Amino acid sequence: MAKSSFISKIYNSGPLLLLYYLCISEVDSNLEKMFEIFTLNFQIILIYFWVLKRPEIMANGHVFIAGLINDVVMGFPLGISSLSYLIIIFVGTYVRNKSVNTTIASDWFTFFMAMVFSNILFFSLLNNFSELSFTLNKIGYNMFFTLFMFPIFWLLFNIYQMTFIGNRDA
Amino acid sequence: MSVIRDDFSIAFRSALLQRGGAQKFSVLSLIFLALVIFFLDVYGIKFTKPVRGLINDVVYRVTYLASTPTRFFPQVNEDLSSFFNVKAENERLKAEIEKYKSLELNVEFLTDENKNLQKILETEYFNKNLSNIVLAKVLVDKNSPFLKSIIINKGTRAGILKGMPVTKDNYLVGRVVETNYLSSRVLLLNDLNSRIPVTLDEGAQAILSGSGLNKPILEYLPEDYEILEEINVFASGKDGIFSPGTPIGKTNGAGEVMLFVDPNQLSFVTVNLSVQTKGNL
Repeated sequence: MAKSSFISKIYNSGPLLLLYYLCISEVDSNLEKMFEIFTLNFQIILIYFWVLKRPEIMANGHVFIAGLINDVVMGFPLGISSLSYLIIIFVGTYVRNKSVNTTIASDWFTFFMAMVFSNILFFSLLNNFSELSFTLNKIGYNMFFTLFMFPIFWLLFNIYQMTFIGNRDA
Repeated sequence: MSVIRDDFSIAFRSALLQRGGAQKFSVLSLIFLALVIFFLDVYGIKFTKPVRGLINDVVYRVTYLASTPTRFFPQVNEDLSSFFNVKAENERLKAEIEKYKSLELNVEFLTDENKNLQKILETEYFNKNLSNIVLAKVLVDKNSPFLKSIIINKGTRAGILKGMPVTKDNYLVGRVVETNYLSSRVLLLNDLNSRIPVTLDEGAQAILSGSGLNKPILEYLPEDYEILEEINVFASGKDGIFSPGTPIGKTNGAGEVMLFVDPNQLSFVTVNLSVQTKGNL
């Protein structure tokens, strides 16, 4: 019993550990080295899915710290990724509170809204308060591919949830 | 109607303020904290700089350790393939030795010629003082769609200052934009924020601007200038930061520059300590 509880704890920690690992390691979650225009914000897909499905797995404090680590590694001003991730959590929690049954299509649409709010805040803060500059092309590609890849990761995470954690939909 | 509004406000408030269970902090309190940290970092209040430097040093080291598995497997693959190609490698090396033997005769002549030409240009000979060159290892090379930079394992302790040029095999790769005690961040030439005054083979002056992609582009060329392929691009040194004549890359027909050093394949770089930054870069 104790062993199975321990294993279940490890499975439950999987998404959070993946988030920390993506933020702290130099793993290229953007795949930009392979395809020049292909950039993907995998972290926000990960956060949004788990906030929507199992919020107790994606604790706010941990997401906040992961964001700070991401800022240090990426060279952004401290706190900006945390803000962006927290907006994703906020929209995800709101959608979770308002909806009874979710489908991949509804999740996809609400993810788009969450990503737009989060990116507007992220890039407007960076443009106004830092010396970093961006092109709209890059931001557009990033948003497009992140949105485009969402259903694929939704399915993968869903399989993980069903296999290792157990289904308990909103 | 009022029911819908109530419903909205309850869901909204709950999303912002909800705590309990695994959520020890509400989203609102963390957003507030993140904003405080952001503005403290951006406006650089005195005590935040050393704190940020310390956090950077610690996180970069942890990142280096955490990335070890991702480096290990490609290295094993490379080692195995080189093991099976020993014979072919030997033949290739023999051919290369022959080639270099024939080239060696020209080197002395070219070195003297180069020194004389640099004296004429009143520039500093790059390798005059090797003690001013610091070799650094690339700790983190995390690819971001918005910031092309690397982190090296030398910082202010080794004498590195913000703005110093960074080279690999004497080819320019970027400049230092952030220094910590034990590490520094190098902005690569292909980053969107990178701007460098350059000289082309025929003496034309231009600005090399990072495009965010692998090939930076040439801007502010003379009017009616026709860009040909295979023209060498050097740092002009007009900014007083980069050594004049440091090779950067070759042009292609589209006005882009193919860098001599692939910015995605850096493992060791050198920092030229003798070139001081002019002001805040």
